[in-house]
Amino acid sequence: MSAGLMIYNVLCLAVPFSVALLLAALGENFNQRAGVFNLGCDGIMCMGAFLGFMVPFSLKATPWAAYGNLLGIGAALAVGAAMGVVFALVTVTFRASQGIAGIGLQMLGWGLAGTLFRHFVGGVTGVEGMAAIAIPGLSKIPFLGGVLFNHNALTYTALLLVPACWFLLYKTPWGLKVRAVGTHPRAADTMGIHVDRIRYQALMLGGAMAGLAGAYLSLCQAKMFSDDLVAGRGFIAVALVYFGRWSPLGILGGALLFSIAQSFQLSMQVWGIKFPYEFAVMLPYVLVIVVLALARKARQLGPTDLGKPYNREMRF
Amino acid sequence: MKAFFKTALAAATLLGLFAGSAQAAPAPKVRVALIVESTVDDKGWCQSMHDAILAVQKKMGAGAMEYSHSEKMKPVDAGSAARQYASKGFDIIICHGAQYKNLVDEMAGVFPNTTFAYGTSANIGAKNVFTYTPFSEETGYLNGIIAGMVTKTGKIGNVGPVDGGDAARYIRGFQLGVQAANPKAAIRLAFTGSFGDFVKAGELAQTQLKDGADVLTGAAQQAIGALRAVAAAPAGIWWVGQDTAQLSIPEGSRVLAASGYNYASVVENLIAKRAAGTKGGESLPMQFSNGGFHFEYNAKADAKVLTPAVKKAVDKAREDLKSGKLKLDWKAVKL
Repeated sequence: MSAGLMIYNVLCLAVPFSVALLLAALGENFNQRAGVFNLGCDGIMCMGAFLGFMVPFSLKATPWAAYGNLLGIGAALAVGAAMGVVFALVTVTFRASQGIAGIGLQMLGWGLAGTLFRHFVGGVTGVEGMAAIAIPGLSKIPFLGGVLFNHNALTYTALLLVPACWFLLYKTPWGLKVRAVGTHPRAADTMGIHVDRIRYQALMLGGAMAGLAGAYLSLCQAKMFSDDLVAGRGFIAVALVYFGRWSPLGILGGALLFSIAQSFQLSMQVWGIKFPYEFAVMLPYVLVIVVLALARKARQLGPTDLGKPYNREMRF
Repeated sequence: MKAFFKTALAAATLLGLFAGSAQAAPAPKVRVALIVESTVDDKGWCQSMHDAILAVQKKMGAGAMEYSHSEKMKPVDAGSAARQYASKGFDIIICHGAQYKNLVDEMAGVFPNTTFAYGTSANIGAKNVFTYTPFSEETGYLNGIIAGMVTKTGKIGNVGPVDGGDAARYIRGFQLGVQAANPKAAIRLAFTGSFGDFVKAGELAQTQLKDGADVLTGAAQQAIGALRAVAAAPAGIWWVGQDTAQLSIPEGSRVLAASGYNYASVVENLIAKRAAGTKGGESLPMQFSNGGFHFEYNAKADAKVLTPAVKKAVDKAREDLKSGKLKLDWKAVKL
C-alpha cells in the first residue's frame, strides 16, 4: 500500500471518528463561554445515545419507521436540552459546585440510560442507523471527495455547525451576551443582561448538542446501544474546549487532531508496524495532554468567570 | 413402672418423629451465585455463563438448584455481593472474570466452607477456590481455518481487546488456523485496549475493512461493535464469531460460524466436585475434548462461501482436537 493511500485511509476514517467529539465540544463551548463547565456532558451523551437508538428501534415495525432516525435525533436533542436545564437549575439557580454537579449528572445520565435500556430493550441489539450519502459532484473530487463528501448527514451537519457556532458566538447579540456573562457577569448584569437566563439558554443549547453527539454514536457510528457506548468521550469533549481555546475553529482542529491520532494508531497496528499496542492506544490521549500542557497560557483566552456561580446580591 | 412407660412412650414418639423427618428430608439443594461485571444479556462473556447456569438448573430441576446473580459488579463493589451470598449460605459463588482474583482470594479465607470460582485463570488457588481456563486457541483455530479458506482479498482482520487472558489464546489460535488453511493470507491484527468499548471496536473494524480485509473476527463483548461495522459494510464481508449468541441477532447474517464456551460443563463439574468433598484447589480446563466448547455453523450461510470443503476442513480439525491428535502450541506464536 502506498503512503498516499495510507494517508487517505487515515483521513477518511478520522472525519467520522471526530464528529461525536466535535458536536459535544461545540456544545460544551457555549456552556463554558457562559461561565459554566459541564462535566455531565458524558451523561447527557449517554441519554442522547439511548434515545437516538431507542426511537428508531421502537418504530422499526411501524409506518413511522422511515422517520425513526429523524425522530431519534429530535428526542436526543430534547433530552439533552432538558438535562442542560436540570444542570442549570442546580448550578445557576441553586449555585451548587459545578464540578460536583457535573459528575452527578454524568452518573445520572449513564445510569439512567443503562437502566432504561435494560428495561425496554434488554440485550445488545442494533438499528439500521444512518447510511453515508455521497454528495453528487463533490464526492468525485480526487482525495478530498472521499475524505469530506462521502459521509452520513450528521457528519455534514457537524461540519456546518462549526461556522454556524462561530457566527452565533461572535456575530450575534446573543453570542455577545453569552461571552459577557462568562467573562464579567457583574458588568453584564449592570448592562441589563439577565445573567441567569443567558446561562440557562447556553446550557440548554450545550446540552442539546451533547445529546446530538450521543445520538451520532448510536445511530451513525456503532448503530447500536450499550450503556458503555460513550466510554468517556464526553470528558474528552470537555478537554477539547480548552484545547481549542474556546473557539469553534480551534475545537474543530482539536477534534480532528485527536481523531487523526486515533485513526493513525489503529491503522498503524493494522499495517503491522512493530510498536507496542499499549502505547499506540494511548497516543491520542497523550497528545491531548501534551498539547494542553504546552498551551497552558491559553487559559488567559478563556472566560474569566468560568466555574464561578454568580450572585448579584453578593459583594466582593 | 408408670414413669417407665411414660419415658418409653416419649422416647418412641421422638424416635418416630426423627425417623419420619429423615425419610421426608429432600435432597440437599445446591445454591449457586454468579457475579458479573457486565450484564447477563450482553450477548457475550457474561451471558454465556448465565445461560450455562440456567441450563444446568433446568437439567437438575429447580428444586435441586437455587440460582441468583448480581450484574454490573466492578471488582470494588463485588466484595459486598460475594459476602452477602456467602453469609446467606450459598454453596458456590462464581465470580466471572479474572479481575475478581484478589476479591476471591480474600473471601475464600473469610468463608472457608463456601466454594468460590473465577476465570479465566489457570492459577491453583486456595482449597476452596476453583479456577477455569478456556483453551480458546482451539476455537480460534477453527475460526482461523474458515477465515483463511473464505478470504478473497487475502486480508483478514482480527479485532483484539487486549493481549491477555483467553483473548491472547484465541488470537494466537486464530493465527495458527489461518496459517494452516492459507499460509499466504495476511492477518491484520490490532487491539482496542478495552474489552467493552463498542465504538472503538467498530472504528478498528472500519480501519481493517478500509485496508482490504474481507473476513473479520474479534473477541470479548466489544466484538459486537466490530460485527456491527461488518454488517454495515457492502456484501461479501464476513465474520467468524467467538460467541454463538452472535448467530441469532440481525447481524448474524454476516456470521459464517461461531464457537462458544460451554460453561455448563464447568458448572456441573463444580457441583459434582463439591458434592464429592472437593471444595477447590484445582483449575478446570475447557476444551472440545471435555465439552468445554461448542461450535455452530450459520445454517443460513451462503453455501458458495461456506462450502463443503471449508466445513470438512473445520470438522476434521475439531475431531483432531477432540481426540488429542492435534495439539496447538499457542505460546509459540509471536505477534
